[in-house]
Amino acid sequence: MANVESLRYFLPELLLTALVLAVFLVDLGLKRKKVPIATLMVVGLLVSLYAVLKTPGAEGVTLFLGMVSLDPFSVFFKVIFIVTAVLVTLFSMESDEVEEKNFGEYMGFIAATTLGAVLLASSNHMLMAFLTLELVSVPCYVLAGYISRSRRSSEASLKYVIFGAASSGLMVYGISLLFGVTGSLSFEGIRDALSAGNPGEIIVLISLIFILAGLGYKIAVFPFHMWCPDVYEGAPTPITAFLSVGPKAAGFAVLVRMLHVAFSSSDGAAAYLTDISSVDWPFLVAIISAATMTIGNLLAINQSNIKRLLAYSSIAHAGYLLMGVVALSQLGTQALLFYFVVYLLMNLGAFLVVLNFRSQTRSEQIGDYTGLAWRSPIGAFVAVSMAIFLFSLTGIPPFGGFIGKVYLFASIIQGERFIWLAIVAIANSVISLYYYARIIKVMFLRGIDAEDLGGFVSSPTTITLLTILAVGTAVSGIFWGPIARWVSHSASLFFG
Amino acid sequence: MLAASKYAPVVLLFVIALAIPVLMIGIATIVGPRRLGVKKKVPFECGTEPIGDTRKRFSVRFFLVALLFIVFDVEAVFIFPWAVLFRQLGLFGFIEMAVFLFILILGLVYVWKKGALEWE
Repeated sequence: MANVESLRYFLPELLLTALVLAVFLVDLGLKRKKVPIATLMVVGLLVSLYAVLKTPGAEGVTLFLGMVSLDPFSVFFKVIFIVTAVLVTLFSMESDEVEEKNFGEYMGFIAATTLGAVLLASSNHMLMAFLTLELVSVPCYVLAGYISRSRRSSEASLKYVIFGAASSGLMVYGISLLFGVTGSLSFEGIRDALSAGNPGEIIVLISLIFILAGLGYKIAVFPFHMWCPDVYEGAPTPITAFLSVGPKAAGFAVLVRMLHVAFSSSDGAAAYLTDISSVDWPFLVAIISAATMTIGNLLAINQSNIKRLLAYSSIAHAGYLLMGVVALSQLGTQALLFYFVVYLLMNLGAFLVVLNFRSQTRSEQIGDYTGLAWRSPIGAFVAVSMAIFLFSLTGIPPFGGFIGKVYLFASIIQGERFIWLAIVAIANSVISLYYYARIIKVMFLRGIDAEDLGGFVSSPTTITLLTILAVGTAVSGIFWGPIARWVSHSASLFFG
Repeated sequence: MLAASKYAPVVLLFVIALAIPVLMIGIATIVGPRRLGVKKKVPFECGTEPIGDTRKRFSVRFFLVALLFIVFDVEAVFIFPWAVLFRQLGLFGFIEMAVFLFILILGLVYVWKKGALEWE
């Protein structure tokens, strides 16, 4: 579709762009900023969420001469990003790490990242994917360093920039090699060139590895995960929560679209795709997946800082999520999308508890969580919610994380080729129980007479949000039919 | 690896390119005599003796000016071709450029209000 006609289908993105500009401008005129700017953010994001759901043509059209694709898959991720941004906005209100002076800029960068993520999930062209990947990355670099005069925060930002620059450089190089052998940058064009003839396996392998380096950095998989713990520890807590869900989901969205559209085709059974490049990339991704979950879980065992622990846990989850990509089937993609819904609830919930605890005690050490459940009634509520999120992250029924994992394992077992990956993943789930349960043990079984530590309070907003997220985590494990229907509709695009 | 033979010349080039400097430096290290002294460490036929470090600190404000310069330089790069083809592009081109300039002017207002244009 040509440029001017496309604008009609592009309303959510235009609204987000307007929101970015509006937040920056409102910041100029105000002294007391937090409440008005956060209100503007939430209203703006909800309006664009409404526009996402009401935009016509959601059954699949390509816009802007094939650059951007509007389909159920991109709509799914748009909803995920916008909901994440709304929650992170509310988290930021609860946090004391961001100064009021810079609040407008900070919120503007969150809105800009969301805009980038929305475009990244719908990009259908290598150049668009690269450009929007940078639009996601650059504001995140700034956000990671937002605590002024904090060495750790600046270090986090600098590490993020340097790793990011190196890996996007590699990615562009890979894209250029791929363009050299296929003569096209659009995903469909690459698929046609690859299925027409063999353009040389070494070149395709090298370019695929380079592109995976760029995307793998964004989703923090082995061996591009090193930045993750340091950045997560140094960044303000709401931003850590944001980074672990928003940009990660964006990276997965473009990874799935690229691998499913450009590097495979559905000439066999409708629910499966076959790899059309001469490179066995499902095997490559399976190795990365196994290595990522193992490294993430093993390194998480010994952490004493809870943000670092959750960083390693999010690396491990990237490994689990990659199983859905490896399966290369409709069930695999469904499992991936389903897991993202649950992951959003439980991971943001866990970070909200960390944030609340930090604002009460100035501590991020797991040891300081001792006896949280016994300090005050609110402490007990917070500890119970944390236990729900952690059990769900482990994958214990009856919480959402269990159903998500069942879908992922089922997709791998159904594919039959990578049964060993399912076994590795099960072993990893057992390892992860150890370090998640350690936090729960400290909160409930230690310091039963710990009342002298002082009462523990939370603001009404925190309590409401925790209730919503905890109930969501629990309900998605019992009554998951609606989510499953939604994701199967969103995933059907690449198949049949 | 069927395709490997196609890349053999490239690999050969890598090997030769690596071998030449390795050989030159290697032979010089092994064969050449080593007599280090104070006189050998001074700059040799290269003008005056160095004073101080070349890595000087300079004000972060220069970076800000450079950034702002790039923004408005890119703006000019976009405006020139648009101005040349103004008549062919018609009203649509005018609206597009107006949107672009509007966003840039918002940026200018923002940096101005934030005091980024003041040196002190």
